[in-house]
Amino acid sequence: MAALTRRARAWHGAVLALAGLYFAAPLIASFVFTVDVPGQGLTGQAYTQILGAPGFLDGLGLSLLLAVATIVLVLALVVPAMVAVRLRPGRLGTVIEVLCTLPLVVPPIAFVAGIGSILQLGPERLSRTPLYQTFLAVQDERFPLALVLSYTVLALPFVFRSLDSGLRAIDVPTLTEAARNCGASWWQVLVRVLLPNLRSSLAGAAFLTLALVLGEYTIARILTFETFPVWIVKVSGSEARLSVAVSLLSLLITWLLLLALSSAGTRTTKNED
Amino acid sequence: MYPALSRRTGRLAAVLALSLTTALAAAACGAKEEAPATASGVAADKATSLADFGGMDGLIAAAKKEGQLNVIALPPDWANYGEVIEAFSKKYGIKVNSDNPDGSSADEITAVKTLKGQDRAPDVLDLGVAFAISGAQEGLFAPYKVAAWDKIPASQKDAEGRWFNDYGGYVSIGCDAKRVAVCPQTFADLKKPEYKGKVALNGNPTKAGAAIAAVYAASLANGGSFDNIQPGIDFFAALNKSGNFIPVESTPATVEKGETPISLDWDYLNAGYAKQFAAKGVDWKVAIPADGKYANFYAQAVNLDAPHPAAARLWQEFLYSAEGQNLWLKGFARPVLLPGMITDGTAQADLVSALPKVEGEPSFPTPEQNDKAKADLVANWAKALAG
Amino acid sequence: MPTAVTTVSPPVPDAAPTASGRAGARPRRGSATLAALPLLTFVTVFFGLPMIAVLVGAVTVTDRATGTTTLTADNLTRSVQGAYLDALTSSIKLSLVTAALGVVLGTLLAQAVVASRLPGLRNLVVTASGVLANFGGVPLAFAFIATLGISGVMTELLHLTEAGWSLYTPAGLAVVYLYFLIPLMVLVIAPALDGLRPQWREAAANCGATGWQFWRLIGLPVLGPSLLGGFVLLFGTAFAAYATAAAMVGSVLPLVTLQIADALSGNVLIGQEGVASALALDMVVVAGLVMAIYLPLQRRSARWLR
Repeated sequence: MAALTRRARAWHGAVLALAGLYFAAPLIASFVFTVDVPGQGLTGQAYTQILGAPGFLDGLGLSLLLAVATIVLVLALVVPAMVAVRLRPGRLGTVIEVLCTLPLVVPPIAFVAGIGSILQLGPERLSRTPLYQTFLAVQDERFPLALVLSYTVLALPFVFRSLDSGLRAIDVPTLTEAARNCGASWWQVLVRVLLPNLRSSLAGAAFLTLALVLGEYTIARILTFETFPVWIVKVSGSEARLSVAVSLLSLLITWLLLLALSSAGTRTTKNED
Repeated sequence: MYPALSRRTGRLAAVLALSLTTALAAAACGAKEEAPATASGVAADKATSLADFGGMDGLIAAAKKEGQLNVIALPPDWANYGEVIEAFSKKYGIKVNSDNPDGSSADEITAVKTLKGQDRAPDVLDLGVAFAISGAQEGLFAPYKVAAWDKIPASQKDAEGRWFNDYGGYVSIGCDAKRVAVCPQTFADLKKPEYKGKVALNGNPTKAGAAIAAVYAASLANGGSFDNIQPGIDFFAALNKSGNFIPVESTPATVEKGETPISLDWDYLNAGYAKQFAAKGVDWKVAIPADGKYANFYAQAVNLDAPHPAAARLWQEFLYSAEGQNLWLKGFARPVLLPGMITDGTAQADLVSALPKVEGEPSFPTPEQNDKAKADLVANWAKALAG
Repeated sequence: MPTAVTTVSPPVPDAAPTASGRAGARPRRGSATLAALPLLTFVTVFFGLPMIAVLVGAVTVTDRATGTTTLTADNLTRSVQGAYLDALTSSIKLSLVTAALGVVLGTLLAQAVVASRLPGLRNLVVTASGVLANFGGVPLAFAFIATLGISGVMTELLHLTEAGWSLYTPAGLAVVYLYFLIPLMVLVIAPALDGLRPQWREAAANCGATGWQFWRLIGLPVLGPSLLGGFVLLFGTAFAAYATAAAMVGSVLPLVTLQIADALSGNVLIGQEGVASALALDMVVVAGLVMAIYLPLQRRSARWLR
């Protein structure tokens, strides 16, 4: 990019520096709060207490479990649909795009108002029917399917967008045609031809969903499930520094995971060249 | 070949879908079950007093058989509930599941409705009186009269036994003496310019009980009454304009950070924080403002569909025994039986003297006055504070 | 790629060779719908049902004592009056402003990152954006209280309070909202910026266009669809934000999400579920309107790019 003038580069540098300051300052201030206790000086106590904190592993485990389940469900739903749309363009594509963008229109707080009404419907009207136990099972504390279903709906727009750009980048009809001519079944086309080419979109979608589930607070809080974000807020009442330390750590770890994934992605593409 | 292939795929998909649905339905299928009866023939979930269990021993036996108790919205540092739960659990060997400690009264009612019939539905509730009244109207609570029923003043319980006051406190001003030179003692003090940017509520008055109580108390201090909460709204509007009031919700985190050195909250909460904060470099003092004394009690209720009905009733008996009431007293809350306990000497004297000082007896607004005040607040608060 | 497709294909154990190899390369219309069926059913059931519940809750009221349910317009009319109307308007205003700011600042940041020659910077920023776009609620609120609050680190360092700064105002809340809106915009616009080829820049320079002219005549139109799409996304996110505002300015800034939460899960309001559903419906209508206005614009401007 030799065309970049020095002025442009200075401008870019200033933008980056300002952005860096804006995004780093709150994190640094939080970090200082976690280690500086007035009267005790600097201490790493907030961090050493984390693993032993009651509810930490449960909350984190639950959120990770929910994230995995959501990722599996959302990809299983969206990938076949979008591949089919690319192969057979038409009204179906518009329908799917609209459906996948609709959840953006509904704020989580409004969505949970509806979910709450439905969940109350179960015990009130359906207690004599076999559906009753299904309603209960969906709210099982150890694995609330209700949350998985809600998070899948929330993740749809982001997964759709990620896969859409990925599918546009590869020529799906041609690839499929070539594979089918070689005698591949539909399943083989999907698994052995298309998915490997979509690796980075799939990974991006998976990680966006992971970040979404690990950060989603409203729905879990109002449906009273103790996921990781809910636990962080709950513990901030009694152990303020611990709570802030945990938030910072979870941010850091998610970021490192994403970094590792994306650099692994670029390395593989380089090898394939 | 290919048409056959897509037919095969179609059939495969249909078979998968069908088996999945069947599996799901079979795994979680079935209607509700009924509760077993106790020795006296009355089912535990229909018992209305100790007599229905054949006395305390019958109740303890039935409760131990159930083995568990689900409580909700009981933070451990709220009126010493942590110790109450532990004492109950150890005394009767019953495991206590404490769900959603930060929940609000509305959350408790929602949990009762949503979890109806589930094993993790709450057995007992501790909620605001207005919510108790509303829940009783909706038929969510089981009538139960504890052994000490007659000692609870008539104005502090439901005639049919569906709810009854448990403990209460006054609105108080908590203050960090390390960050504030002279701690404010009254509502009038809060207006002083030296407290600029320092006064916070512990929640939003349209949402948090303690916060709306603070507005009510401010109204009493400024010429209002139980019928008129507007002076309180005006007081906070003025405080906000002068910059003394900051809208951030005060939490232990913000107090430790020094962002909210003055916090209006229930006296039992503020007093409880003093110990917790001492280790974090905060010198927390509590004062009940003499010009605006507003007291409020919470209420106990038993879930009509409690999954552990005998344990629920045993819990109530425990709370209303001298031991339970004294544990609340230890948490700086004023238990409903306190006046009687002081007279007959069952109240622990050192705990009574540790309570934040207040003169006179509390008086309470009627439910109608309360509802009107809430409606007025919700309608006028945001506009008044936006200035 | 070879342009001639041989008609004699090597024998494959799974499938018999057929004369019309092409016929199986595209799925039949029925199969395409079948592949999309799980998604369609899922969205209809698990998104449609709660929405219907909100709609029903907004237009009915259940008498607490008798349990009878009746149709009523009361909830909806209350939800657009008085304090609720104030909340709705301030939510919309805040969301419009922060979305616009987010679009501009996010694009500038993304452009700086994409144009930079530092290796790995792009990776760093895009992954950080993915993380920060979901960072919100109480931890974010506290992080800003610790930085820009009255006793915050930056406030004391730079004596901001004397300069008239307060975090607990709509302006302060906007600053906090940008913390997750800008990363979201970066995620949306970075791929589009990649599509802006450097050759175009050079060609424009060769024709004598200044940088500003390049952006006005080529850059912005090409980015148009993504900018509009990003605006819609940011508006929706800001409009739906709840926990962050609740922790910081809940008492003084009326926002419709806070009111819904107050009605659903508070200690003060009883029996307001109907109004909560009505407010939720209002939110859906507002967000839907914004989408209905901007998305067709976006599709139209995207058409010439295809």
